[in-house]
This record gives sequence, structure tokens and C-alpha cells, in this order.
Amino acid sequence: MLEAYLPILLFIIVGLGMGVVLITVGFVLGPHRPNDEKLSPYECGFEAFEDSRMKFDVRYYLVAILFIIFDLEIAFLFPWAIVLDEIGLFGFGAMAVFLGILLIGFLYEWKKGALEWE
Amino acid sequence: MAELIELVWILTKIGAILGPLILSVAYLTYAERKIIGWIQNRNGPNRVGPMGLLQPFADVFKLMFKEVVLPSNANRFLFLVAPLLSLMPALAAWAVIPFGAGLVLTDINAGLLYVLAMTSLGVYGVILAGWAANSKYSMLGAMRSAAQIVSYEIAMGFALVGVLMAAGTMNMSGIVQSQAGPIWNWFWLPLLPLFVVYWISGVAETNRAPFDVAEGESEIVAGFHVEYSGVAFAVFFLAEYANMILISGLAVILFMGGWYSPFHGLPVLGPVFDLVPDLVWFVIKVAGFLYLYLWFRATFPRYRYDQIMRLGWKVLIPVTVVWLVVLALMILAGFGPWFD
Amino acid sequence: MTLFIFYCFAAVLIFAATMVITARNPVHAAMYLVLAFFNSAALWIMAGAEFLGIVLVLVYVGAVMVLFLFVVMMLDINLEKLREGFVRHLYIGLPIAVVMVVQMLLVVGSGIMDPATLPSGDLPIPEDAGNTALLGSVLYTVYVYPFELAAVILLVAIIAAIMLTLRRREGTKHQDPGRQVKVRKEDRLRTVDLPRNQQSGSR
Repeated sequence: MLEAYLPILLFIIVGLGMGVVLITVGFVLGPHRPNDEKLSPYECGFEAFEDSRMKFDVRYYLVAILFIIFDLEIAFLFPWAIVLDEIGLFGFGAMAVFLGILLIGFLYEWKKGALEWE
Repeated sequence: MAELIELVWILTKIGAILGPLILSVAYLTYAERKIIGWIQNRNGPNRVGPMGLLQPFADVFKLMFKEVVLPSNANRFLFLVAPLLSLMPALAAWAVIPFGAGLVLTDINAGLLYVLAMTSLGVYGVILAGWAANSKYSMLGAMRSAAQIVSYEIAMGFALVGVLMAAGTMNMSGIVQSQAGPIWNWFWLPLLPLFVVYWISGVAETNRAPFDVAEGESEIVAGFHVEYSGVAFAVFFLAEYANMILISGLAVILFMGGWYSPFHGLPVLGPVFDLVPDLVWFVIKVAGFLYLYLWFRATFPRYRYDQIMRLGWKVLIPVTVVWLVVLALMILAGFGPWFD
Repeated sequence: MTLFIFYCFAAVLIFAATMVITARNPVHAAMYLVLAFFNSAALWIMAGAEFLGIVLVLVYVGAVMVLFLFVVMMLDINLEKLREGFVRHLYIGLPIAVVMVVQMLLVVGSGIMDPATLPSGDLPIPEDAGNTALLGSVLYTVYVYPFELAAVILLVAIIAAIMLTLRRREGTKHQDPGRQVKVRKEDRLRTVDLPRNQQSGSR
């Protein structure tokens, strides 16, 4: 099994390496004439004010948390989908209960308006 | 010594995948400008080389000789790492894609899971680029884009679960082989709702029109990569287009019978069309999906952000969950020609 | 060569884990944590846990760390205060660390984890069967109660997350596309008959 993962490891290294090479080439070939105006962050016509790392709406965090939960759900569904043939009706029932419980959570989210983007 | 030869052999194969891939990216940008030009009754690029065919190379060389600007307030290290992090997963996912029968770099058992894991890494490039540049537009673009990618990934994951249930394996070649047969044997038919959901979320995952609020030119100029110039920008560009080709390739493998011809297994037509090599069928189908990307971009107006989130959470996810249950019942009942 | 790759991953893992707690910038620390997860996933795969390794990347790197980054980037964390806290919280952090090390030693050192003594150690594992399929064949049958328990825990997590973070903003105006589509002419347009010549010069 491990031999099958060696090409993946190499591919990841090659992928990173390609990015490094490209950017290095850019630094070598491109000109380098910085000035204050050029290096200032882009903003429409005037000097940038305030720090750009501002606080964001809490909704973004909520989306991220809900994403983790649903991602876990998908991770649980993967092995189930493969062996559905073997485990038959019992396995189907087990997953139905699992999804049913999470459906309650999803409906709660929906009713509470957590999915609303105002 | 034997190990060294093996390493070189694997690296050669990786080169054989990456070379054509990058060339396809170059000509996808050309095709995009040409096709959208024609749709809008223009000519598109036609100055560099015959019919503008050398335009992509001109663009590449132009970008290589441009200055890479490092904004003064940026976090330099992360600013330069971000493009790498968005390019790496877009390329590494190709390791398990089968281009034809047996034509695959490595045929791991957990192929589909690996692809899903790799695509889920793409969001790092976006978040880090937006944050490291320390500019308001990039920050806004990054946050929007991250929340969008994350939301559509769930719908996509559920759609992939449907494919797994139908195929009974996560091995990419295995998924294609379980669709062996003519066009109505492929998974797009029994999994039609999941196919549609997969494709919509695929377009949203790659931040392409009509889901391109992340870089909406008219609102936040270019979103998370406003501050990038020269090659650093080119790397993001390369990653975006490689991802588009990847999503199209996956659509072909998972729903459109991979390398099989549409008449595979039919009495007379089957053998005739099987004369065309596997790879050619695969490429034709991928090109079809890529055309859809361009067509969407030329046709649909941009979604508003709240509409995007609404579509992802309130429409696509419920549709997939309902269809997963229907599909499970269909499989347990041995329904139709697909699940006997 | 396998051993060499193993030590490479292990070395990077330890380096990354050390950097997580010593890095000055919280975003850097989060990125080192990503690197640490990535390397431990590689180690798991090398140990034969194919499914778990990739799920570690999918769930922890792809989802949990994204949340971490969101939080770390968007909250204004005062670095100086964090620095002070490192020493100040040492008296509580150190005992916890010691307790955890002892616990780990008890589990690993006592020999329960020895593959030879595990009840399933002598079960025949078919060579061709995938890691994931084997996992699936027991998870939804033998271990069905823990599996359902996981669903309940996730449900609690959903409800808690919403209770803690959701604040309705007052006075926002938003559109409901469904209602917009349903609008008929009668709802919007009122035709009025005006007497014809009230003021003849009003053109």
C-alpha cells in the first residue's frame, strides 16, 4: 500500500517546488524599483486609513463551525457508502438514525435563522 | 540504485501529467477569451501569432518580466507562501486521476477521499493571501471567498457520497469501471440531482462566474489577490485554471463514464467507437465541461452574496440529503440496470 | 527508504509542534499547526491507517484549522499580553502537561497497545480489502451505539454553536426572493380615476 503513496508525496513536493521556482524566476527576471506609493495597499484614491485587519461579523465564524460539523458527517458517510451492500438494511437503519438526529440540528439552524445572511 | 531509477521514473510520469496540464491551462485562457469574444460578437485576441494562438505565451512572458510588488504592510513570508499553498493542492490532486484504463499515476484505494482532502486545502491560499496583503479589499475578498468555498464543499461532499454508494469503492478507476456501458449506464442518470449539485458547487468552489463575488471586479476590484503582481499573480491564475480542469475531470470520472465511449458495449456502434483511444474520449468530455464554465461566465449575471449562501445551505444540501436516502433505497432494492 | 521518510516526517512534526507554542505571530503558529497535522497524517498513512490519515487532513486541516485561522486573524489579539501570559500561566500549564504525559505513559507503556495482545491482532485481515471498507463493516454494525452517540454529540455542537454566536441584528433590510417572485400587479399598482378637468393649466 505504501508504494502507492510515494508518487503522491513526490507530486506534492513537485507541486510546491514548481511554485517556488516560478516565484524565484519572477524575482530574478522582473525589475525591482519600489517606492512608497507603489507599496502602499490599494485603496480608492486616498491614503489607506485604519488597520485592514478588522473584526468581522460573527456569522463567518458560525459558518466555519457548522462546516466542521457537516464535514465530520461526510467523513462518517464515506465508509458507510462503500459497505452499504454488505451491511444491508441494518446499516441503512443505523445511518438513518444518525442522519435523523443531525436533521434535527439542521432544522434548528434553519428555524433559528442561522443560515440567513442579512 | 533500483530505488533511484524508480524515483526518476515516477518523476518522469509526473512531468508527463504536469506538462500537458500547464499547456491546457495556457490554452484554456486563450479559449476563454476567444469564446467569450465570439459570444459577445467580438474577435478576441488575434494579434500574436496566427489567430492569436501565441497569445498565452505572450502573457506568460509578460508576467515573468513584471515586478513582484511586496506591499509595505504585508507579512512578507505568508504573502509569498500563499500562492504556493493554492497551487500545490490544485496540482497534487491530479496524482490519482485516471486518464484511461490503467493510465493513472497511482491507483490508491482511497482515491476520491484524497481528492476531496486536497480540494479542501485550496481555501488556505485564499485566506492567507487576503490576510497577508493587509489591504481592505483583499481581506473582504478572502473572507467572502472562504465562507463560500467552505459552504459549497459540504454540498459537494454529500454529492460525492452518492457516487461512492453507487460505485461501492473509492478507487477512481473502480468508479469508472462500475459505469462500464453505454451513456445511459453512467451515473449521471440515476444520480441526476447529485450531478447537478456537484457541478454547481464545483463552479462555486473554483470561484468562477456566476459565483465570483470573491473577486467581483466591479465591487472589490480583484478580491483576495488585489495586491499580487507579476508571477505571484500568475501562480494564483495557474491554480484557478488547474482547479477548473480538475473539477471538470472529476465530473467526467464520477458521472460521465470516464474514458468510456458513449456507445460502449452496444452491438455494432460499440466496437467502432472503442477504436478511438480512451484518452481521447476523456479529453473530449473534459473539454465539454470546460466549455460549460465559459458559457456560464458569458451568460449569467453575478449572484449576490446572500443568495449564494442561501443556495448552498438551503437548496443544495437538502436536495443531496434527500437524494442520498432515495439512492440508498434504490441500491438496497437493486433498482434498474445500475444497481443489480 | 521507508524508515528514512518516516524520520523526515517525524522530525518535521516535532519541529512544527515546537514552533506552534513558540512562534510570535499567532497566524504563524496556526500555520505550523497545519504543518504538524499534515505530517502526522503522513505518519498515520505510513502506519497503515489510510482512511484515518486522509480524514485527518480533510477534517482537521481542511475544516478545524480554517476556523482557527478565522478566529486568530479576525480577533485583535494583543501579542504583548500573550507573551506575558506564557510565564504567568506556567504554574497551571505545567502540572496539566505532567498529568497528560503520565497518562500517555500509562496507556502506551502498560502494553495494552501492543498489537500482539490486541483482541483483533490475530484475526485474519484479507490482503486486498481496503482500510475504509474494513472500518465501515464494523463501525455501523458492532460499534453502532458509539456511532449514534457521535451524532448526538454533533447535534449538541450545532445547538451550542448557534446559541453562543447567533445575534440577530435589528433593522436590517433584506430581500426574500420567493416573495418578490410572487408579487402580482394588484399588490403594487393602484389605478385611480381622476376627474378630467380640475385644473386645465397643470400640463
